Amino acid sequence: MAATAVHQLAQCITCHAWSPDQTMVAICPNSNEVHIYKSSPDKWEQVHVLQKHDQIISGIDWSTGSNKIVTVSHDRNSYVWNQEASEWVPTLVILRLNRAALCVQWSPKENKFAVGSGAKTVCICYYEQENNWWVSKLIRKRHNSSVTGVAWHPDNILLATTSTDGKCRIFSTFIKGVDSRDAGTTSSSELKFGEQIVQLDLSFSWAFGVRWSPSGNTLAYVGHNSMIYFVDDVGPSPSAQSVAFSDLPLRDVLFVSERMVIGVGFDCSPMVFTADERGIWNFVKLLDQRKLVPSSANYGSQLSGAFGKLYGQSKHISNDTVEPSRSRAGVHSNLITSILPLKVVGGAVKRFSTSGLDGKVVVWDLENQSEFSL
Amino acid sequence: MEADNIEAIITRIEHKSRKIESLLKQLKPVEALKTALEGSPPMTKDERCKSANWIVVHRAMMSIKDVDGLFSSLDPEYYDILMKYLYRGLATGDRPTCEQCLRIHEKLTERAGLGCILRSLSDTVNTV
Repeated sequence: MAATAVHQLAQCITCHAWSPDQTMVAICPNSNEVHIYKSSPDKWEQVHVLQKHDQIISGIDWSTGSNKIVTVSHDRNSYVWNQEASEWVPTLVILRLNRAALCVQWSPKENKFAVGSGAKTVCICYYEQENNWWVSKLIRKRHNSSVTGVAWHPDNILLATTSTDGKCRIFSTFIKGVDSRDAGTTSSSELKFGEQIVQLDLSFSWAFGVRWSPSGNTLAYVGHNSMIYFVDDVGPSPSAQSVAFSDLPLRDVLFVSERMVIGVGFDCSPMVFTADERGIWNFVKLLDQRKLVPSSANYGSQLSGAFGKLYGQSKHISNDTVEPSRSRAGVHSNLITSILPLKVVGGAVKRFSTSGLDGKVVVWDLENQSEFSL
Repeated sequence: MEADNIEAIITRIEHKSRKIESLLKQLKPVEALKTALEGSPPMTKDERCKSANWIVVHRAMMSIKDVDGLFSSLDPEYYDILMKYLYRGLATGDRPTCEQCLRIHEKLTERAGLGCILRSLSDTVNTV
């Protein structure tokens, strides 16, 4: 089994993020707080609690270069947290939204961050030195529904979004004074802010979890109909592949290398997809091969029945009424909501972490897996 | 314009129906089912087209005796659309139809997994 460490940090985790040196993890235990845990040899210790939001925190991202944490919440606001001495000091970022913020990601250069929201808009936020203030610029009237995922292209300009209208869209986020024209010699730096490059119409159901490959040549996102979509040559004439798989839908994806993707979601076990020499993507296997185990009483509370899995409301289902047909003997016992890279060697991810509604943060190792020699 | 389109679809379904009858006479029920599942009218809201096509699929589906044999020769690309028709069959409430649908459903779920059911629920192109 490829899971090397399992940490039960809360009853339910909505999102998590790692510190630059990966000794600390920030999680939201399905509340309005962020808990930061520090690793120690035998157990994880809670070292900070960030309290400022009023409602559930839906996204956390920790920048590697500047050591800043950005959080977004259902209360429609965002905070950028700066470490001063031993304290984390928040700075309010007014997103100008009238619905919940759902996801957040720092741009590769960490001078901007993108927020997806239930207000059918995407906010691009950047810091204005002269006013000592984070400014939020909105991309409006492009999405027909909530924006569930954002992903930055490595060039720091292009942003991919997924939405519950089933579409994946790519925008330019060029901001004068923040991005320089000459920095990227690619054509993407000539586009105006908010300009839509392409709209991908592959899914007929909700779309989630978009990610670019390390080179930025391939894009992957998932649909709520148990499909994953791969898009090459993003631009005027993209080429797309749809891969159907036999398990429950995915929620988030991660490129391990140019030709390997790991998807996580409702099936509670990470799924591996690879591309062959011709660039054809295929489902390979579940990373966490579960065995069928007889359902015991103390397992029932982890909501392993189909009802709990689909709706994520596990805690208060009584054991007697819901008899799980297929117990999850895997590491995660509920929906996995996010996947993050941990150790990257030469452009390939060797270790990654997942978190989910079962309140666990799990670290997975690909290094000693001979079949992952791609 | 719309009416012409519907007439064209109906004609196509009739043609398909004749082909299926001849395949069934040649004792090729799986081929008949494949033919029935192919070219179902996409995105149509016309009930006449939908039920005409359903009658054809139903005819082919009911003639399947060996469910295990069906899946050894049915290609995976037919799974999602077959699942949709199974649910339509179950919705009829007709006893022999439901029994047949449940028998196929069990085997299909074993093969194609829950993903197939989710796709058949969320598919908005193939109206069944």
